Amino acid sequence: MADAESDARRLATEARDRVRFEEEVLGLADQVYRVARRLVSSREEAEDLVQETYARAFRSWRSYTPGTNLRAWLMRILTNLNIDRGRREQRSPDMQPMEEGDYYLYNRLEQSGAADDEERVVERLSQDSIVEALAGVPHDFRDVIVLVDIGDFSYQEAAQILDVPIGTVMSRLHRGRRILKGELAESAVGEES
Amino acid sequence: MTPFESICEKCEELIQPYLDRELSESERREAETHLADCGYCSKRYRFEASLRRYVRQACCSEEMSPELKAKLASLRTALD
Repeated sequence: MADAESDARRLATEARDRVRFEEEVLGLADQVYRVARRLVSSREEAEDLVQETYARAFRSWRSYTPGTNLRAWLMRILTNLNIDRGRREQRSPDMQPMEEGDYYLYNRLEQSGAADDEERVVERLSQDSIVEALAGVPHDFRDVIVLVDIGDFSYQEAAQILDVPIGTVMSRLHRGRRILKGELAESAVGEES
Repeated sequence: MTPFESICEKCEELIQPYLDRELSESERREAETHLADCGYCSKRYRFEASLRRYVRQACCSEEMSPELKAKLASLRTALD
């Protein structure tokens, strides 16, 4: 009798924990979608990826430790599924010389029109060109940019999500942002001509 | 406004982690002192910060559809 009562209590606690988990996970859906949308190239792919992520998260809810970083836990499922889905071949980026890469975009934009200050000059880029340029960054680099710049994850969290050392996150971020700026500079030149 | 003509090594070390809020308190103070003193870095900083905001704005403008939201909510009971 006592066993039956304790079983019932355990089941009730588990059911309550599960509902709480599901609600918290669903509350993060917009953030998960924003990251997914920039990891893959189309809206449809992003929707599929988010659905797969949620299906897996709900199935494996017991493997989440309450009180730990749920957003990072979900993102780890998402990035693993994205890798499992197979990534299409991408061209290697044309790298600007290292010493030029970081300010090449700025100089390009600055040369492309009337004087603006450092904060306004980015407005010469169209939003579409930014989305396109990010999509052109190779996956390994893009994953890190998306997690840190769009998902607001720290370097440490991104390292855990992607299961790579923090130094790798930092170097990929650095190189990825440089590639992104190179792509943007190319599109800025393209729009001028 | 003039193009960036010279490269400050400090800038490479500091600006990105400063913008990412990844510096320790003492490193942050060092970065702020440096940004206040170095014209090249303060210009680069303003550019990088606004580019970061602009990229974020461009890449976060697409909301998820209500249909997908409803689908996700339905998965919670469909999988037991």
